[in-house]
Amino acid sequence: MNRRKFLLLSAVAVAGLTFAPAIKPAFAASKLEEEIKKRLGVELKAIKETAEIKLTAPTIAESGANVPITVEADIPVDKVERLWIFVDKNPIPWVTDVKFTPQNGQVFLSTRIKMGETSNVRAILQLKDGTFVMATKEVKVTAGGCG
Amino acid sequence: MATGTAIVRVPKEVQKGQVIRVQMVITHPMTPTRRDPQTGQETPGHFLTKLQLFYNDQLVSEMNMAAGISANPFIALPLKVESSGVIKIAYEDNRGGKWEKTAEITVK
Repeated sequence: MNRRKFLLLSAVAVAGLTFAPAIKPAFAASKLEEEIKKRLGVELKAIKETAEIKLTAPTIAESGANVPITVEADIPVDKVERLWIFVDKNPIPWVTDVKFTPQNGQVFLSTRIKMGETSNVRAILQLKDGTFVMATKEVKVTAGGCG
Repeated sequence: MATGTAIVRVPKEVQKGQVIRVQMVITHPMTPTRRDPQTGQETPGHFLTKLQLFYNDQLVSEMNMAAGISANPFIALPLKVESSGVIKIAYEDNRGGKWEKTAEITVK
């Protein structure tokens, strides 16, 4: 790589870094990231998606005030500490967290949540070894349930 | 129904070691705390903050929540049943309300 090419590339890289947050309407996402950092103590980027968590939610919700979700995991319950539910674009992205014990027999939660607008729903499992795994599903909301 | 009343539903007869789902519906408005963008004045919400599931007085699960759960929350949690006994849910809200509800389970 010659000097000119290097300068050009670094200029592009710097511009990319500067403008990327402005181009992307990242406000909601960063709020979610902050919330996850605050509550879980890890970065959202560090959480891997897994097929072992089954998150069931409607693709299109009739009403944002009442979105049924079900979380089921193939991971043995004695390896699991806590299940967290987040909705990316809610005013408060954290919805609930449930602590599991071996007496539960299984990782399972079914409930109904509120959603302000179309957004991702995330089910994050905090494992006993300190790691996190996640399942994500997008739910389209036509009538918001937070206003 | 008055705020805080609950219905707990469990299977009538279960086998030893079976994992059942304890289903519950709690009457509660679950209103969020709202802030007027112009005046900055807060309207306090009214929502459940904590729910605990007990099996024979042993804590099985603890759930934290806020107004992100829908009004009149429906919640289903798993429970591994070893013997006949009492399932209890205890829940509280952000205004100091505390309630309990029990259901009995019989192992065949």
